[in-house]
Amino acid sequence: MVFLLSCLFRLLLWTLLTADLTAVNLAIGIGLSLLLPHARGPRQPLAPTLRALGRSLIAVPLAYGEALALISSGDREEESWIERPAGDPRHRLLIFLEVLAITLTPFTIVLGLSNGPTGPHYTIHQLRPRQGQPEEVQP
Amino acid sequence: MSLLLLGAGLALWFWGTWPLLEERSYLSKLHKLSVSDTLGSGLMLLGLLLRIPSQWPLLALALLGLVVWNTIFGYVLARCSQPAEVNHR
Repeated sequence: MVFLLSCLFRLLLWTLLTADLTAVNLAIGIGLSLLLPHARGPRQPLAPTLRALGRSLIAVPLAYGEALALISSGDREEESWIERPAGDPRHRLLIFLEVLAITLTPFTIVLGLSNGPTGPHYTIHQLRPRQGQPEEVQP
Repeated sequence: MSLLLLGAGLALWFWGTWPLLEERSYLSKLHKLSVSDTLGSGLMLLGLLLRIPSQWPLLALALLGLVVWNTIFGYVLARCSQPAEVNHR
């Protein structure tokens, strides 16, 4: 199923690039999307991949909201390093989409993925507007 | 409306690029740069989309490429800035 999604995505790119919906061009696009090399490895699970795709799409409007929050905070921001549970590292498309969704939003950037005792997790750098006293005096 | 989006994109460009010249941590500069180069450029492309709607397939492709490429490039830059022990997979 993920193979089909991958082919559809390639076909979408082809039709956008050529802007031509004639049957011949679509046939060339379908041929290319099938013939170009596909990722090898274990089977990609469909449901978590679709959920991650949904989160990536939601991340776009969310990113503009976070950008506005950063802009309106002035220079009152705080940095922190957090950890967040990650998907199975063997599912590369899932990891790619999760990293995309996290890094797209201006508050968070993924720094790495590591395996801990509680399972795989992302190390994330966070920059958030500081909560509380706005009149804080800088040293 | 198109001018408004182009102007807002330009404003985000300047807001995100200015911190590069200031004394800040590398990662906080990267957070702000993502606002300018991904989100600011995205608004500009939307403005162009309203201005020349006949070119929508190429502009949509550019928008998709911009969001994916810029975001992943930001991740690569952030990851490469870390010491080796964080980077093991």
